[in-house]
Amino acid sequence: MEILFYIFSILIIYSSIMVVASKSPLTSALYLILSFFVLAGFYVILDMQFIAAMQILVYAGAIMVLVVLVIMLLNLEKYKNIKTDMHQKFISGLIFMVLFVEIALFILTGAGRKPTGIFTSEVIKRVGNTQVIGEFLFTKYIFPFEISSILLLVAIIGAYLFAKKRF
Amino acid sequence: MPLNDYLIVAGVLFTIGVAGVLLRRNLIVVYMSLEIMFNAVNLGFVAVSNYLNLVDGVIFVIFIMVVAAAEAAIALGISIALFRVKGTIDIDSFDELKL
Repeated sequence: MEILFYIFSILIIYSSIMVVASKSPLTSALYLILSFFVLAGFYVILDMQFIAAMQILVYAGAIMVLVVLVIMLLNLEKYKNIKTDMHQKFISGLIFMVLFVEIALFILTGAGRKPTGIFTSEVIKRVGNTQVIGEFLFTKYIFPFEISSILLLVAIIGAYLFAKKRF
Repeated sequence: MPLNDYLIVAGVLFTIGVAGVLLRRNLIVVYMSLEIMFNAVNLGFVAVSNYLNLVDGVIFVIFIMVVAAAEAAIALGISIALFRVKGTIDIDSFDELKL
């Protein structure tokens, strides 16, 4: 387990850096797919196999197909050599450092809460991963579930309106 | 593995995503950096709910995935519409609201 965690950490950080740093958008998209798969591996070693399957189906399947299709649709070859000015690099580096120090301090000095719930990994393994999630999703969180269906409907109508020829 | 290791990985990923949003100028790459930030938050949620023996964090991850799917449709539709108007998706060329 430990060695898997370190392999996954190195892979996901490397692929995320390559998403930001690579020149071509298509290379970024392929590295992003790699990072989605590695994140699914993280979910498996955290005993959440259902979320790992959802990650691969929704992110690496649906969303990345959409992104690669849009990259193919827009001809971006002409705009590869646009350089950033030093002003933007300085300010964003400053924000980057402050945010990183903030997160590191919060993690290192955060108060350690004790585990409170009853769903230990033995219970989840005995009952079944999907059943536990489904019981929570359709009883306690039924109202956000219905709201999210309306959100998806709004997204469909919005995407149709944006992609139309004339507004 | 202790909880802090997962949170450190999630923090590093979130910071890389912020750097991508601030530094890159291609709209598609900015959108992909946003996806990295979403994924860092998801990893944090799952790690904390595994540590606290709760399932609520996992439900949050499902809702974040729904929002990310809706956002993908809208953001890529916007980028196609902008490309049709301007002929480019460099975010510095969209400055009509500048004074």
